[in-house]
Parts: sequence; structure tokens; C-alpha cells
Amino acid sequence: MDKYAVIGIGCAGYNAVKSMRENGFIGEIHIYSDVSHPSANPMLTTYYVSGRLPREGMFPFGSLEKLVKDYNVILHTDTRVRHVNASEKQLVLEDGSSEVFDKILIAAGARAVSPPLGQKPKGRCFLMRSVEDADRLKQVLEQENISSAAVVGASMTGIKVTELLAEKNISVTMIDMADRLFPLACMKETADILEKDLTGRGIRLLLRTGVDHVEENGNDISTFLTDGSCVSTDILVLCIGTRANTELAANTEVLEKEPVLINRGIVVDEHMQTSVPGIFAAGDCCEALNIQTGSTMIIGLWANAAEQGRIAGCCMAADCNENSLPDTPPADGSPSSALCSALPAYKGSIPNNITHYFDQTFVGIGDPNLTGERFTAFNKSGMVSAIHDGRNIKCINILGNYRISGMVKDYLIKRITGQGAFMAVADMGLLRNSGVPEEFIQLLKN
Amino acid sequence: MSYKINFYADLCVACGACSVACMDQNDIDTEKGDQPYRRAYQTDYTDSGEKHIGYFSASCRHCDDAPCIAACPSGCLFKDPETGFTVYDTTNCIGCRSCSMACPHGAPAVASTGKMAKCYGCNERVKAGLKPACVAVCPFGALKLEEA
Repeated sequence: MDKYAVIGIGCAGYNAVKSMRENGFIGEIHIYSDVSHPSANPMLTTYYVSGRLPREGMFPFGSLEKLVKDYNVILHTDTRVRHVNASEKQLVLEDGSSEVFDKILIAAGARAVSPPLGQKPKGRCFLMRSVEDADRLKQVLEQENISSAAVVGASMTGIKVTELLAEKNISVTMIDMADRLFPLACMKETADILEKDLTGRGIRLLLRTGVDHVEENGNDISTFLTDGSCVSTDILVLCIGTRANTELAANTEVLEKEPVLINRGIVVDEHMQTSVPGIFAAGDCCEALNIQTGSTMIIGLWANAAEQGRIAGCCMAADCNENSLPDTPPADGSPSSALCSALPAYKGSIPNNITHYFDQTFVGIGDPNLTGERFTAFNKSGMVSAIHDGRNIKCINILGNYRISGMVKDYLIKRITGQGAFMAVADMGLLRNSGVPEEFIQLLKN
Repeated sequence: MSYKINFYADLCVACGACSVACMDQNDIDTEKGDQPYRRAYQTDYTDSGEKHIGYFSASCRHCDDAPCIAACPSGCLFKDPETGFTVYDTTNCIGCRSCSMACPHGAPAVASTGKMAKCYGCNERVKAGLKPACVAVCPFGALKLEEA
């Protein structure tokens, strides 16, 4: 009977296990997690700290006991995998012991980065990614008198941290090296509006400057910036970004074969298989297809992780004797894509974000840093803007009118993938009735 | 048995009875800005050079592989195994709007409560052998409860 390993039990790992069982895999599934709690969603940490969610709300798939009961898995919690020996399909654990499997899924996620602090944050310096990060910040906010905070990173996480602190009447300074809010999703014109809105709420915004170093003296945190200034606050929260946990697949020794291909993330093909047959990856640690560029890219979204996990689990569960998983990777070292055509394939994604904070909703789809003609229209329900070249839409920003976001994203994806010549009359009417300008609808249709 | 609420455009005049029935069934508080889960509307379009007016009633399609379910960060959305409708428990809904971003039909909205709200197929009515409110009230039979 085959034996599979899943490293990490976040969204991708959970959905992979679910998919394996739903697709008939009856062998052993061993799950390795370096924490003791169930699958957590990093996005929910700020909601827990703010008090909008109870602590158990951060675990959307329920308890570990439920996981074992529902999917008959063998759990190895508080167990760190040191290394994946790809050629032997062997996991080497932190304590030096090892175990061999038939297939391995790496769903190790990503971690928050904290270069200005040099090491794991402590005292009154915080990250905001893990359950432990949330527990620490919540405890300090509840037990100490905090009146000022610096939030580094004008990101989707940074804005939610800013919101929760401001709602506790804490004076917040947001800092980012970029020239705008949400630099990976927001066009400059949109950012101008959002920044004005933020500063109007009393948030101090320092852009175009990074953190040089941080000094902690008692209850005072001094954040020294690259422009020579210094911000002194009670706490510091770093929301700079994340880094894929690729290390345990790096430098693998694969005799007579290429090692696991890693760029920023572990590179996978449409079946979520890495360049080494039998080793799969899914979720925030992997790079999958970005349909806008045709290249692989980390697009760390909950929905992507769920879909990637589902695909990986299904492909791992499939009978791989002759007609599915190839024994040898392509000669160029790229991920193999010769799996059985009957297996599900990940269709790819584009960068897309939706965030709601204070009473503002921002939607970003595509790359705001691409060049092209600009379209912007305002109406009573908000604003919609786009970067396009007449033929291709490269980026869309929406303020306010969030209900159209899914329709707009769907049509943009259809256009990029060559299915977008036709817009259903019903959808066109729904967009019109939602206040979307005719010019934008035509842009989306053409 | 799985169901779908199917829409037959050639029978619809966008009278709005479905929306009103939805408001009534679900106690939609329009004074707070909340909207019914089903929207009736008309729009003009051109086909083969001729101008037409289309009449529609739109709501959640209860997709077989509903993308809103996977997108919800809190696990609030799920399929009712008995009816196949995409239903929800918003106890842990954070109002993040990820469901809206995932839905290609513009169905999920956030109500004045700060929680997601959308058509749930009048799930309890259907389980009790009744039709969804919008289906029951449609005077032209443009909405039908049918086996999926």
C-alpha cells in the first residue's frame, strides 16, 4: 500500500489531503507540521487581534481531531522536516530520523520576513502572519497601555493592522519604501485617492523610505528610516511581505536527475508536480502559472492554495503506473507536464486582491506597474480604472463597487486566455445596473 | 437530490416580483441599504444589427464547483448535501468580500450586519417540499426549481 507525506497543513495541505481521499487514495497519509494547532489562515490573524473573530475562528477547517477522523491521517505535529531527499523520496526530520514515502507534497507555506530586526521579533516588535504572532500582539494590546504604533509595509496585511490599531485609538504611522499604498496592486491614481482617505482619518503615511534599523529602549521603539528620520512609538509591526518556505526542498541530491527546481518558490507544472517526479508542491511555497505573463509566479491567495491543493491531491491519488506520472523529468530541467491528460490541471491565475478596511473597499486585478493607456471613471458607486493598450487589459482597479469584482476578473481571465470575445447580455445588464460605465464594459468586451 | 433555480429569459418581463418575494422571505431591510438576493433588471442590446431589450432575474447560480466556497477564508460557505444549494453559516464571516471576488455572477454581497448574504435557494423551504419564494411568486414561470 502506498504511503504519502504532506509537509504543512495550511490551506493547500488540507485540501490536498481531502482531495486524495475523495479520489480514492486508501494508503497512509502522514502529515508533518511544525506547529501544534490546526490549519490556520494567516489572513484571519488581524481579525482575531481586533476582536472580530474568536481564537478558534482562525482555524477554518476545524480541529486536528476532526482532520484525523474525517480523512484518516497520521499526524506528526510539532515536527519540523529538515530536508527532503528527493531522489529517495525521503523526509529527514529535525531529530535526524528519516522516513521514505511513495509521494511527497510540499505545502510548507510562506513566512513573514523581518530583515530590520535580524532575528525573530520579540518585546514590542511584531510580525503578523502566524497564530503565535497574533497571540503576542493581542496580549500586548490588551494588557499594556499602547498609544502609538509604527506599521512597516503599506500592504494588504499592513492596512488591516493599521485599521485594527486605529480603531483602538492608537496613533499609527505607516511606512513603506514604495511610492504608493498597495504597490503591487494599486495604480498611482487609485493610490492617491486611498492615501488621501487614509491621512484624512489621522493615519500618518511615510512613503519612499525604508527601515534602516530598529532600537528598543524599554517601552520605546525607535525606528530609524533610510531618509535619516526616526519614528518613536510604543510598538512596531512589520508587514513587509512573505518569503516562500522552499529551503527543505533546496539543494536536494537527485542522482542522475535534476534537483527540485526553485526560483522564488518551488516551480510546479499544471499538475502541481515539481521537476522531480513524485514530489509535488502547492500553496504559498510554490510558483504556478500566471496566465497574464505565461510564466510561473507565487500568487499567494487562499483560493489559489485551495485549488492547487485539490489538484495536487487528485494527481497524487491517481494511478500512476504507466499513463500518468512520468519517471524522468524533461531534459531542460523544467517541471514535467506529461501527466495523463485525464488528470485535472491547474488553470493558472492572475494577481488579484480585494481588501476592505475602515469603510473603503479596494480591488486590484493584474499588474499596476505595466504601461499603457489609462482609463478612469467615477460614479455614485465608486471608481473603476484600467491600464490597457486597446487590445489587452493589463490592470484593473475598483474602489467601492466590490460586487462586480468577480465578474470583471472572470471576463479579464477569459480575455487573456482567448475565451473573451462574447459577453452575455445578462452580465452586461448586471454591470450596467451596478453603475459600471459603458466605456469600461466595452473595454472588457472588446 | 440536487436542485437548481433555473431562469428562462424568454418568459421574464423583469416585473420584480421575485425580488419583492425575496425581500419578504428574508426580511431584507432596504432602509439599511440591504438588497434582495435576487435582482430583476432590463438592458438593451444589439443582435444582428437589430436593437432589443432583454429582461433578466439574476441571483446565485449555486455552481456545482462553487468558487466562493474555496475562496472564503473563514470556511463559511458550503454545499448542502441534501439540496445541492450553496449555503452558509456567517458566524465567522469577516466581511472581507473574497466571495465576491471569486463569484463570476456578482451574487455575494455584504449586508448592513457586516456579514455576507446571498441567495441560499430558500433551502429550508425546499427541504420542506416548498418552492423558493422567488419561484413561487413568478407570475410567468420564468423561474423554475428543477433537479440539477
